[in-house]
Amino acid sequence: MEYVILGNGIAGVCAAETIRGLDSEGSIRMVADEPVTPYSRPMISMVLAGEVSEDKLPIRNRTFFKDLNIKPVLGNRVTGIDVDKKEVMVQNGASLAFDKLLIATGADPRPIKAEGMDRKNIFYMRTQAHVQEMLKVLPDVRKALVLGGGLVGFKAAYALMQRGLEVSMLITSGYPLSMQVDEAAGGMIRKELEKFGLNVTVGMSVEAFEGEGAVTGAILSDGTHASCDLVVVGKGVRPACSFVPGDQIDKDLGIVVNEYMETSVRDVFAAGDVAESMDISRQEPWINAIWPEAVAQGRVAGANMAGRQVPYKGSLSRNVMRIFDLDLMTMGLVNPPPDSEFEVITAHDQRRKTYRKLVFRQDILVGAVLINNIDQGGIFMGLIHNEVPLHIPKSLLAEPTFNFKQLVI
Amino acid sequence: MDAIYDRYTVTEDGRMLLKKAEKDQVETVWDRHEAQQPQCGYCETGLSCRNCVMGPCRVDPFGEGPQRGVCGADADIIVARNLIRMIAAGAASHSDHGRDLVEVLLKVAEGKAPGYAIKDPDKLRRLCGEYGLAVDGKDDLTLAGELAHAMQEDYGTRQSSVTLLSRAPEQRRAIWEKVGIVPRGIDRETSEAMHRTHMGVDNDWVSILLHGMRNALSDGWGGSMIATEVSDILFGVPEPNKSLANIGVLKEDQVNIVVHGHNPVVSETVVTACQSAELLKLAREKGAQGINLVGVCCTGNELMMRHGIPMAGNHLMTELVLVTGAVEMMIVDYQCIMPSIGQTADCYHTRMISTSDKAKFPGMEHHEFSPENAYEKAKELVRTAVENFSARNKNRVAIPPVQPQEVVSGLSVEAIIKALGGAPDPLIEAIKAGKIRGAVGVVGCNNPKIKHDYGHTQLTTQLIANDILVLDTGCVSVAHAKAGFKTLEALEKAGPGLKEICGALGIPPVLHVGSCVDNVRILVLVAALANALGCDISDLPVAGSAPEWYSEKAVSIACYFVASGVFTHLGPMPPITGSMNVVKLLTEGLEDVVGATFAVEADPQKASRVIIRHIEKKRKALGLDAREA
Amino acid sequence: MKQVVVHPERCVGCMQCMAACAVAHSLTKHLHTAVMEKPRPRSRVHVGVGLYNEGFPNRCRHCSPAPCMLACLSGAIFRDEETATVLINPDRCINCASCAMACPYGVIRFHEKWDAPPGKRVAAKCDNCDERRAIGLIPACVEVCKSNALTYEEMDGAMKHKTDEVARTVSAAVGEDSPIPAGLALLSGAKKAQLATHNS
Repeated sequence: MEYVILGNGIAGVCAAETIRGLDSEGSIRMVADEPVTPYSRPMISMVLAGEVSEDKLPIRNRTFFKDLNIKPVLGNRVTGIDVDKKEVMVQNGASLAFDKLLIATGADPRPIKAEGMDRKNIFYMRTQAHVQEMLKVLPDVRKALVLGGGLVGFKAAYALMQRGLEVSMLITSGYPLSMQVDEAAGGMIRKELEKFGLNVTVGMSVEAFEGEGAVTGAILSDGTHASCDLVVVGKGVRPACSFVPGDQIDKDLGIVVNEYMETSVRDVFAAGDVAESMDISRQEPWINAIWPEAVAQGRVAGANMAGRQVPYKGSLSRNVMRIFDLDLMTMGLVNPPPDSEFEVITAHDQRRKTYRKLVFRQDILVGAVLINNIDQGGIFMGLIHNEVPLHIPKSLLAEPTFNFKQLVI
Repeated sequence: MDAIYDRYTVTEDGRMLLKKAEKDQVETVWDRHEAQQPQCGYCETGLSCRNCVMGPCRVDPFGEGPQRGVCGADADIIVARNLIRMIAAGAASHSDHGRDLVEVLLKVAEGKAPGYAIKDPDKLRRLCGEYGLAVDGKDDLTLAGELAHAMQEDYGTRQSSVTLLSRAPEQRRAIWEKVGIVPRGIDRETSEAMHRTHMGVDNDWVSILLHGMRNALSDGWGGSMIATEVSDILFGVPEPNKSLANIGVLKEDQVNIVVHGHNPVVSETVVTACQSAELLKLAREKGAQGINLVGVCCTGNELMMRHGIPMAGNHLMTELVLVTGAVEMMIVDYQCIMPSIGQTADCYHTRMISTSDKAKFPGMEHHEFSPENAYEKAKELVRTAVENFSARNKNRVAIPPVQPQEVVSGLSVEAIIKALGGAPDPLIEAIKAGKIRGAVGVVGCNNPKIKHDYGHTQLTTQLIANDILVLDTGCVSVAHAKAGFKTLEALEKAGPGLKEICGALGIPPVLHVGSCVDNVRILVLVAALANALGCDISDLPVAGSAPEWYSEKAVSIACYFVASGVFTHLGPMPPITGSMNVVKLLTEGLEDVVGATFAVEADPQKASRVIIRHIEKKRKALGLDAREA
Repeated sequence: MKQVVVHPERCVGCMQCMAACAVAHSLTKHLHTAVMEKPRPRSRVHVGVGLYNEGFPNRCRHCSPAPCMLACLSGAIFRDEETATVLINPDRCINCASCAMACPYGVIRFHEKWDAPPGKRVAAKCDNCDERRAIGLIPACVEVCKSNALTYEEMDGAMKHKTDEVARTVSAAVGEDSPIPAGLALLSGAKKAQLATHNS
């Protein structure tokens, strides 16, 4: 059996491990553009912050490929797939035949439209290489501008503040993390960030960058000028699937997969940030480009590729971050349409400095935002993921004493 | 989060202040109660013992783990020992409070207590009579000295029985004699209780519990009774008065001083000091319209009974009163003062003052009061409070905008008898005629385990609607006052018979008889009723109830009620369920021993049915008409 | 292989397991000295409350597959294959709380500990007392539990024990040989009634 895996991110790695666990004989080839052993992408910002050394990034041994008898094809992007011939074409001109193919190419940073993007010291933050580049210029910069109030923007801003830079953040929407939290939590987060010295501007974007060679400033959407000598663009990601023939393999926001992580073409699978699957809380197809879903999808895809039918329940958005003294956990559907069948319970305790928002569809929890007191968050995840009908008063979930026992009377 | 506060308390002012406490980052008793969950099951069942250092020990209530302590004590012995230690602590508290009053009485007699006087010489003489002292030709001060000495004898070990037992009906005294629980000396019984529970002394759980009853009786007919009677002698027998209750009694434009605790010895001098023209003038100079003295807890009850001083709140309100940010000073004496309140006050300008060397608190300034210096000390403190008015942080002040509730207070036994026209007969006739079915003393504390004031107000609503006269003391009386039960308008909530009788007498359906030490006024009243009827207390259609009790003192009170023949209901469960033998004795077996038992029921609606059933049963036994409960 | 088995119906909420667990995971391993350590050792078993404030010793189930392990971003969580115990390498842990978001039981906490890099908060949870077992001791929480809410036994034995208990309950006539001692039934009824006042 010839397995080809495109991408050596966590989805690809988990798929390879699962395949090898079920099929010790088959040939596995992994094609990836990053020429490194698999590493923890979510941790790159910690390297930027100086909290973690680069040698802590790899999530598998240096001998990973050898141990699992995988043939790596690294430093190469895939340029196309010939579905009929069951071949993938690689940047270096080679073509690889497959019996089973996994597309786990992940996502690329979403580019922004602004003049002067070619100035130096304007970065995306997606790969270890991006961070290495930033680290090189760090000694020469003082004033950073972070575009985007999403997770990447936050992590970048936090890291640069840890490095002693003066950091300003521009957010297009009305409050930070608008994709992850509601307005109340967004406000608390903004306050916390400002308390620790971050300049936050909402409802603002960049029109153009200035500078001879290196960036020296930006013209903002209201016409004002902001000086800066480092820019990090964190405006989200988009699936890296331009090489996938859309006329043969169904694409929507990403590559559409069924419950076995298989695409519209037999024997071609997709997993991780590139795959669009059913979102459990939204009840519609969605891309949840997050680490734990990449792990789960990679494992499911790998099992199915190796001939063991394992269904995938669906994906769920979720995130956890520590923002200075404030812990944030968010999961599922947190901003339901205002009309609707959804019931929302919020609890804001000013003394304990906690906030909880819980969203229910009838008796089923579909989303939650937790600020501080996040230890029990995994229970909420379980409830959302397994769509467990609640038999206890919903308000109990909002109380600080809520714990597992209360679910198992 | 507001919904949480609905679950904490039935009181509007309480809910508002809980919200403010959250905003002001102030921790409350409810937060701490929540943090303590789950509470230790060994302790809840009474099965943990740390009386010695072979231990500590615990017995597995499921029967598989250890069933005996290191010493060999089984569940029955451990539970009984623990319970009697609660009784001993409660009895000690009341009785030591009584002793402090006797000492003031003695100092007055010796002329060493300026600021104190004999306010009620008649009562002094009546008491001397009961103590067998010749009164003719002696002046008040001489009698005061002799009475104080005689009372001190009651505390010792030289007597065969406590003097005021003579007030109990003969039948009752015969029962005590027969069972062997006649209290011999106030301190002696507490001391013996501690001795018996030392490892290797009394290991018969029945014998331990019977001594517990004796210890409680030494409180009810001894220490507590002395406390109340001497307070009346020194500060006057309470007479009906009108007052106000709830947090609305604090005044934004005045210097607010709150007294908290139990013993009127300190607070009485504060009352006088607050009326000082010189200090009132100083208050005006500081921009205040006056000096507003209010009470909380039982010190508040003492002052309300005798002076109509307004009441700001009960036990669970004591922290919240400070959260108004409008209190210049809180002066405490002892008992039920949460050690947290010094810290609560830290968030505001409030000066916290402790006054007794046996009750010191973190975050409080200590100003030792003695009979010799009390009035001067009180003036000094009130002056400090007035000066503190300017330190008030206006941004932190928020007195909930609630209208103070009018209250009729001051219903001492003497006042009740007076209202009845000089003798208990009209009350007896009303009971015989069935217009009043009976009487219940609804007494006790607050406990965060029960929604604040819910147990009290719900139970009393049912009782008065069923023509049962309610007498209250302690924290219950504050709950009732705030709920408006102590007004003539409340007669509208009373059953037709109760409404008719109380209406004719001009008294509310719920009578404020005092602080928690004043529960003895209820004993005196039921004894007088039994004596008038020629029966035992246990024959009367009466009951006791502590719907939200928490303290060791409440255990002692409940035990002296039951040992005196009064069926007594408890809201929260005492720590006895580790021994079903102890449970059965207390809830069933005691009927054959002292003619009364305990019942435990947290739901006030159900409790009211239990109590009503008991009262109708007693009516039937007396040959009176009885309703189906 | 023996495991810690939880019998929630027997938990009296005394929290002795928590104290014992903290001591077992302290540097000095003795109560009186452990309480003076900095950082203060903390328990990995967490006695939470049920709907009626009844105790519940919540601890890591060492799931397989373990959601926390799959969610770990830094590869700090691993399984010791020999004992099937899920462990956390404090040197690799980055305190990101991804494991807490994945744990369906809510048993992971974050704090400093003596065997982690100084000044660094890390994820901590039950390690099945691997240190104690290595020297022939049973897990600390089990050792101190006197009501048998925590036992250390072969899973097969535990299942049989449980089945027998259920069978006894079913076959016993009402009121006779009840599995819950009368005093405890009384107490739990009283506590439910107390709590009910808050919802009235």
